[in-house]
Amino acid sequence: MSAPGVASAGQRAGRAALAVWYVLVLLFLFMPIATSIAYAFNEGSLNRQTAAFTGWTVRWFAAAWANVTLRNAVVTSLTVSFWAALISVVIGSALGFALVRHPSRRVRLFLTGLTYVLLIVPETVVGVSLLLFYAVTGLPLGMATLVAGITPLAISVTALIVRAGVVTLDRRIEEAAADLGANRRQTLWFVVLPHLLPAVLAGALMSYVFAFDNLVISSFLTTPQINTLPVYLYGSLQYGPSPAVYAAAASVLVLTILLVGLAGLFYRLALRRGARSPA
Amino acid sequence: MTMTSLTRSGLSRRSLLAMLGAAPAAAALSGLLPAGSARAAGALNIYSWPDYFSQEDLDAWTKKSGITPNIATYNANEVMFAKLNSPAGSGYDIVIPSSGWIQQLAAKGLLQELDHSKVDLSALDPSLLNRDYDPGNKYSIPKDWGLLGVVYDPDVVGEIKTWQDFFDAGKKDGVSGKIRMTKSASETVGPALWIAGKDWNKATVEDIKGTADFLKDFAKHVRTFSGFDPAALASGEIVLAQANQSAARGALLQNPKLKWVVPGPKSEIWVDSYALAAKAPNLEEAYDFLNFFLSPEIQVKETEYLGYPAAIAGLKDKLSPDTKAKDMIFGGTDVNFENLTSYIVNPDTVDAYQDVQNQVQAAAGV
Amino acid sequence: MSFRLATIAQDGADGVRAAGPARRPRRRGRVSDHLFAAVPSLWLFIFFIAPLGFTVAYSFGHSSFGTVTLGFSLDNYATALSGFYAQSFLRTLQFAATGCALCLAVAYPTAYFIARQAGRARNLALILVLVPYFTSFLIRVMSWQILLARSGPIETVLRALHLTDAPLDIMDTQTAVFIGMVYAYLPIAIVPLVIVLQRIPQSLVEAARDLGASPWRTFWHVVLPLSRPGIATTVLLTGVPMLGELVIPSLLGGERGVLIGQAISSQYLNSQNYSLGSAMAVLVLLAVAIIVALLARLTRGFAEAA
Repeated sequence: MSAPGVASAGQRAGRAALAVWYVLVLLFLFMPIATSIAYAFNEGSLNRQTAAFTGWTVRWFAAAWANVTLRNAVVTSLTVSFWAALISVVIGSALGFALVRHPSRRVRLFLTGLTYVLLIVPETVVGVSLLLFYAVTGLPLGMATLVAGITPLAISVTALIVRAGVVTLDRRIEEAAADLGANRRQTLWFVVLPHLLPAVLAGALMSYVFAFDNLVISSFLTTPQINTLPVYLYGSLQYGPSPAVYAAAASVLVLTILLVGLAGLFYRLALRRGARSPA
Repeated sequence: MTMTSLTRSGLSRRSLLAMLGAAPAAAALSGLLPAGSARAAGALNIYSWPDYFSQEDLDAWTKKSGITPNIATYNANEVMFAKLNSPAGSGYDIVIPSSGWIQQLAAKGLLQELDHSKVDLSALDPSLLNRDYDPGNKYSIPKDWGLLGVVYDPDVVGEIKTWQDFFDAGKKDGVSGKIRMTKSASETVGPALWIAGKDWNKATVEDIKGTADFLKDFAKHVRTFSGFDPAALASGEIVLAQANQSAARGALLQNPKLKWVVPGPKSEIWVDSYALAAKAPNLEEAYDFLNFFLSPEIQVKETEYLGYPAAIAGLKDKLSPDTKAKDMIFGGTDVNFENLTSYIVNPDTVDAYQDVQNQVQAAAGV
Repeated sequence: MSFRLATIAQDGADGVRAAGPARRPRRRGRVSDHLFAAVPSLWLFIFFIAPLGFTVAYSFGHSSFGTVTLGFSLDNYATALSGFYAQSFLRTLQFAATGCALCLAVAYPTAYFIARQAGRARNLALILVLVPYFTSFLIRVMSWQILLARSGPIETVLRALHLTDAPLDIMDTQTAVFIGMVYAYLPIAIVPLVIVLQRIPQSLVEAARDLGASPWRTFWHVVLPLSRPGIATTVLLTGVPMLGELVIPSLLGGERGVLIGQAISSQYLNSQNYSLGSAMAVLVLLAVAIIVALLARLTRGFAEAA
């Protein structure tokens, strides 16, 4: 028997084993990412990626840039993800709020059911259904229909995240705002939204990631002008991808990291300035 | 993944926001970049296999015409058919179906007849024109062609001359478990039908289903139905594989001891063909593109880039003399073209073919 | 793909808490309340429910090579439930169960380690696990093809360390598929476990220890039972999307064995048989709904709505 806070030899061994395990898991998770970056510099053979590293080159970055189809796919993916995230965050936040705060219990139950059904429908079914639907309604396919097709899943994710935020929101704050003469719109905009901001932004980010990686729904809804990166990548796998797609992916990754860093920097600066200014 | 759980678990709001800021920023930036230059005066929309044109030649056409074509890609004829047969298929100008799918696409009204006064086929190899899948080239112009053959390591596998040899060799120790077959139902069932002396375009549903037991029995020796990977043959992971001649050439260049054969009694020749979508919005541009890519100079360049022989007559002599493994581009020197047949999709049997394929792939699983 | 379910998880983990705050519903809703309910409902009706209706309608119709005649027949359901496809579905259940169990086995110790860190260290440990989500999923799976191939990086390293002389023989096997599955779903499996584990008061663990329980007994009788909601959530989060998985088996498993997701898309694409594909999809949907409902009951995920 040991006194609290004093670890026995067995406990120390257990902790060390857990730490080792964690490091191994990190290695497992990051190995493919490191590989994808390293192999963006691989010479390959006959314009195809090879498992054996055949030599260093930077020419695939130039090739990726010169490949208009690939470049357009990257840009399309970024644009589609942006709009999907924007729409999902607006509609999803409203839904998330209604899930908790709608006065009618029946409406809340209906909305909850709807939100869960969204999560469990296999994506193949969603893709085909949408294609059939667009066929019958005669909606011309394009960027808008692809974005609209991706949003339902993203909306339900956002809604559930925001709901979790709303649940912990103290109603008294809203009441206080109302007592001080704020109308409903002002209360929502200046009091509720700032409180929910982390959840709302988390929803936006997840919608963005989901839209950017979406393969199954997108493959049904892409058109001549609107071809996304995952659809292009998946197609290229049939005869072996060119190392250029690794170069493109590595570039996108570096760009994302740079933007994350910049955003973090600006946020910190803004926060510091905010702290100094009188509230 | 749950971001709120992050906040709940104590992640500071600030670091979360820092991460979040990037997403809209990245997207907003992307909005500033030119999103495809298709909305210029002229446009051309191509639906193609991935990486099926040399970028250099595409750039040359862009220089000439001022148009950057939009190229969307598919990885199977089936996907292309399903897409064209839906509202997502409108807007394409040029599609590149394989020979077998042209009749069905035309029957569904998804292709338009070619205006032969606008495109000149006289320089093309006559043996690739007027074939049974499209008499008179009403709908299609050959782009390039390929053969169904086998690439193998003779030291392990032995000699292969017929499809029977292929199936026999596959059962041997050292070969079993190192075989690649295709995911294409016709190319899996076809060899079994040919062994039985049947024509794959005339086979009945019973004939096709009759091959299932034989193929399922063989399936346990198969390692993969995925795309052909030359590196796997070079490394010995695969020693016996169905492949087309261009993919095989890639493997032979990596590992010269490999051999390639187009087995008897029959095998396949497919012709990937240019066709015009029924409602192609940019016909003028499409014809201009076709004429440009059918010019002898471009045909030679495309062949050297892709490794598939383009359709121009006398192509072999036009290729640069230092092209590696030049004969392999044409399937070797001893192919008897009399014994080659092109698969033609038939709605009455397509289910049966796919059913056998699914069963074979399922039987290969553990 | 998988993270859309993560949120169910969170509900599960926090079901009890969600019921907490006092709710004082008013009789008359405000305009904003109605707007917040109506706009999402309308949007989801147009772009989700209505399209799904077409699939259900098609499943009762008759399809011939890309053309569907509507009608009412149960033939497609009969075919979908017959021999081969029923087998595929059972195989898929088994596949998802295995994948799920493996994921849980790798995730649990990882989550336990993360949950036991303090403050900033815990955040960092969790973020590191989640970072891979922010690179393209397909590229990561394609990288596994390289890593696992013969004469690929892993073989090279193993040879250099003299751990093996034999060529690596993993690509296109079940092992490769499950490596890929664990890889893809691991972050999502870890999160709900961390949430639950960190809420277990350290005093409980210490009390058990003071009463003379060995670390193992403490874990088995105190920690594990208390983390059950997190485990159920992880099962839900990884198991359900695995039922529809088709990319990983096809890229790492040589497309051997046919899972239900692959069978459905082969009906739609290869056979152009939309009706049969729709019927199979409806059946999968029902099966998944039942599984989710059972698990949700287990995790009390719907507590808040009831």
